[in-house]
Amino acid sequence: MAEIDHRAELSRAGANVSGHWSRMLFYARQHPLGALGAVIVVVFVLAALFADVLAPHDPLDTSAPDSLKAPGTIFVMGADMMGRDVLSRIIHGARISLTVGVASILLGGVIGIVIGLMSGYLLGWFDLLMQRLIDIMQALPLLVLALVMAASLGPSLENTIIAISIPLVPNVARVVRSSTLSLREMPFVEAARAAGMSELRVAVRHVLPNTLAPLIVLFTAQLGSAILVEASLSFLGLGVPEPHPSWGRMLSESAAEYVRVAPWLVIFPGIAISLAVFGTNLFGDAVRDILDPRQRS
Amino acid sequence: MGYPLSAAAFGLGVAMLAGYAGTALAQKDGGVLKLYHRGTPPSGSIHEEATNSTVSPYMGVFNNLVMYRQDEAKNSLETIVPDLAESWSWNSDGTQLTFKLHQGVQWHDDKPFTATDVKCTWDLVLGKSKAKLRKNPRKSWYKNLKEVTTNGDHEVTFHLKRRQPAFIALLASGYSPVYPCHVPPKTMRTAPIGTGPFKFVSLKQNEHVKFTKNENYWKEGKPHLDGHEWTIIKSRSTRVLAFIAGEFDMTFTTDVTIPLLKDVRSQAPNAVCDLVTTNVSTNLIVNQDTPPFDNSDIRRAMVLSIDRQAFIDILGHGETLQGGAMMPPPSGVWGMPPEILQQVAGYNPDVEANRAEARKIMEGLGYGPENRLAVKISTRNISIYRDPAVILIDHLKHIYIDGELDTVETSNWHPKVARKDYMIGLNLTGVGVDDPDANFYENYSCGSQRNYTGYCKEEMEALFKEQSMMTDQEERKKLVWEIDKRLQEDAARPMIFHNKAAHCYQPYVKGFVTHVNSVYNNWRLEDVWLDR
Amino acid sequence: MSAYIVKRFLLMILTLVGMSIIIFVLLRLMPGNIVDIMFDSAGFVDPAEKANIERELGLDQPIPVQYFEWIHGLIVWDLGFSYVSEMPVADEIQPRIPITAKLAALSLFFAILFGLPLGVISAVRQNSGMDYTLRCISLSGLSLPSFWLALLILMAFVQYTGSIPIYINPPDNLWDELLLYSIPAAAVGFRSSALIMRLTRSSMLEVMRQDYIRTARSKGASDNAVNYRHALKNAVLPVTTIIGIEAAFLIGGLIITETVFNIPGVAHFLVEAILMRDYPIVQNLVMLIALVTVLINFLVDMLYAVLDPRIKYAD
Repeated sequence: MAEIDHRAELSRAGANVSGHWSRMLFYARQHPLGALGAVIVVVFVLAALFADVLAPHDPLDTSAPDSLKAPGTIFVMGADMMGRDVLSRIIHGARISLTVGVASILLGGVIGIVIGLMSGYLLGWFDLLMQRLIDIMQALPLLVLALVMAASLGPSLENTIIAISIPLVPNVARVVRSSTLSLREMPFVEAARAAGMSELRVAVRHVLPNTLAPLIVLFTAQLGSAILVEASLSFLGLGVPEPHPSWGRMLSESAAEYVRVAPWLVIFPGIAISLAVFGTNLFGDAVRDILDPRQRS
Repeated sequence: MGYPLSAAAFGLGVAMLAGYAGTALAQKDGGVLKLYHRGTPPSGSIHEEATNSTVSPYMGVFNNLVMYRQDEAKNSLETIVPDLAESWSWNSDGTQLTFKLHQGVQWHDDKPFTATDVKCTWDLVLGKSKAKLRKNPRKSWYKNLKEVTTNGDHEVTFHLKRRQPAFIALLASGYSPVYPCHVPPKTMRTAPIGTGPFKFVSLKQNEHVKFTKNENYWKEGKPHLDGHEWTIIKSRSTRVLAFIAGEFDMTFTTDVTIPLLKDVRSQAPNAVCDLVTTNVSTNLIVNQDTPPFDNSDIRRAMVLSIDRQAFIDILGHGETLQGGAMMPPPSGVWGMPPEILQQVAGYNPDVEANRAEARKIMEGLGYGPENRLAVKISTRNISIYRDPAVILIDHLKHIYIDGELDTVETSNWHPKVARKDYMIGLNLTGVGVDDPDANFYENYSCGSQRNYTGYCKEEMEALFKEQSMMTDQEERKKLVWEIDKRLQEDAARPMIFHNKAAHCYQPYVKGFVTHVNSVYNNWRLEDVWLDR
Repeated sequence: MSAYIVKRFLLMILTLVGMSIIIFVLLRLMPGNIVDIMFDSAGFVDPAEKANIERELGLDQPIPVQYFEWIHGLIVWDLGFSYVSEMPVADEIQPRIPITAKLAALSLFFAILFGLPLGVISAVRQNSGMDYTLRCISLSGLSLPSFWLALLILMAFVQYTGSIPIYINPPDNLWDELLLYSIPAAAVGFRSSALIMRLTRSSMLEVMRQDYIRTARSKGASDNAVNYRHALKNAVLPVTTIIGIEAAFLIGGLIITETVFNIPGVAHFLVEAILMRDYPIVQNLVMLIALVTVLINFLVDMLYAVLDPRIKYAD
């Protein structure tokens, strides 16, 4: 009984004190899977942010006696061939994955938004040129494009981010361009223009915020996809290089080699990737449902 | 967990010989030997490559003048036997080596084999002929070879600049096949022609390389196999799983790493697995021309910080070996015995004492916990290179050095090393023949293309020459130890450990002996047969 | 309509030309070149000989010249020689195409076989326990790294059957071939079916909200009959698009799967050729993949136009 009272109290308090809180609860109830996804994403982000505090060991410390140690009290998820703690490497790996995901979103997002806005505004030859460029970017499957990019740039954290961000550009540019096209004729935009705002300010202040919803949908999807593509590139030998404890790197080469002797080397990082991507996908679905009413189910 | 199978197969040459003699009575002909390969061979031209990716599959296409006994596990001057040469003799001052050649031998395209072919082959290697090799990795082996002359169709003489009793050891390597004069180098790369027991059939990139029996092979009754086929599987975990599942008769040359060996033994208990030294060492190349390692004190400190046993325990599960430049005994013929090895600076087993000394050196140079030295450790982006580099960085931490790993793509590695664009490089060195002449001239001699650090010292050159000219091999061994010790203390190419790996095959594969001091010389396959 | 087709076709050519320039430049940006890789197996690089080989391969010429030589070769169907094997590029690529095509077709078959019906069920039973379960399964299909899944499949096979489902020898007959490809195809198909399922579900939901379905239902048709018949009929269109997208998407998935299962198809070959800097192979293979992708998109657009009379192609 007390518990129910307590909860009711909380929700009342939430409703009164903070609109955000109650809205979140409302969404959580509406989208239980999305809420689950949000929880996973939050855990993932926290692990990335506080890796130094959370990780029980130094992810780079090697130790001969601990080579391929099975999971136990000291190494909760076991140790790899070089005696490095798998759990600590997974926690630090979250940071790499998040860095790759967020940085590729920022990079691809900014380039895509700039191209999209300029195309939608300037039209003419610039728009035509950009449209063809986007066609070209979409003429290759995502992984093939990322593979060729990663190989051309050489393996490093920065280059992996660039390679993964490029396939995002055409999607973002398309969305921004079409929103811009429809928005620029809208009364409120025309009003702003009539009031003497410069085109650039109109674009940034009025057009961009109105394209935010589809962009957020794209970006949440990209987060999961970036993690997966990075893992695939690492598996093919072209991703984030050692000694960064990237999840994909942890799964490839020596881990795969010792998979039968030391299955924990493959199971835990695999679960980490799957869970993180699963969470961002669930979360992304819910975000899409909330922000894009046409698709609401 | 014991290693019941290896005890019988490894180390006990006697047991192997006995086994061989027993089986020699009743060989069965027929059947195709199925192996896997780790990647597409770079080409079929053995003289142009320095990798067992080429030697292992293609050695059976060819014959040498002489070769190491295929059924004797430990290569030495005593195990050299005739191949295309029926016999050989030295002149009185030891500068002319004359071979009498086997008659009636034909190339795979039915042209007759003559002494001219032998001359052509070594003219090619010396760069004297009109046809040119694209790559010539063993030029340094023949520094002392003046010319090759023929005397009729069936006699050939190698003229040396000075005496070199171990010259014949180089000719016995799998790396020294006789090429046909009439076939251009390009064809030798894509579809090689030899006199050997197997003919090349086809190579498909990433798929397979196939060889079939040479029905007209000049050695009576050989080969026993109808052919051998290599399926290319890049992922080691996949291919070893495939071996465990019985898809293959034999693994690629010493492809089974020590941790994987446990898996093979438990999952495929009938398989024969020989754990052998591969004559591949993991070592450091140190750039002595630029800071910080132009300072010999820092070099010394760095060498002292290395805990070799830790490398061995982690990467070799305690099985790999410490040693100098030459492969350590008992498998190696020329390596320093433990009591001498321990006298070499940095080989003292008391790691803490070594590191304390190293810290003192570093402190003397102004480094300390607050003032650490940042260095880059460059290595190839392949796990057998990268893994030891990661451990090295960990060890350097103990002496105020912060190492950063700089992984280099395969394509950039040799150019980078040649440019001397590195501080420390972590490197692997494979030696084709367990003989000081091959190793010293290839890796430590002035002007050799494979001498990555450009190590070049007059007094060492003199010593290399002195040992090379010695006839008494026991005396020579003592001098070789001395040279090896000086090479280590000079940090010419500090050795970390000598690798070991296992070669596995199914129990019905007979007549194959894994060599214990070279992975390059036992692939003629003419004696191999399948007991099925 | 025909003007639209012509326009689309010309744009397609333009895209391919642009692609060829970009891929050519990207390849020349790659760190390290083929000659260095050739020398790698000899353990050193000889600068003089390197220059010789570069001349032999035409790599010493200016990049625009190299580019136009390649394009000229494409037009007269002389694709050059693989740097690695010194064999004609066409001979290297051609035998690998049917392998990948069969694998892709089988994967697509699996993907549609599972994705389509499950997507429909999920939509019809919207917000039921079944719907949630299916959505979770499909999302997990999109979340598992494909090489991880493939590795687990291989391990499980060796553990429980003692055999390993990888490509070792070319299959002798159709049945063997089907067996050989079905496991990797299922691994790729799982991921694709997840996508098909999700998109089918949302298309169905959209259609079901529309008026004529409600009308049919109010006229007394039973719920299920209406849902399945009417809704599916109208969802065919978006689903066609999805399948088109999937076909292109599959090639990416096959890169990993062919590598893990050691299947000698074009996708695996592309990865190897990139690692070896085998430019003639890479540039021609990438063009082939781009051609297939662009063609599929083109065909899907055309199909769309034929199937849906509501769409007008004014411009």
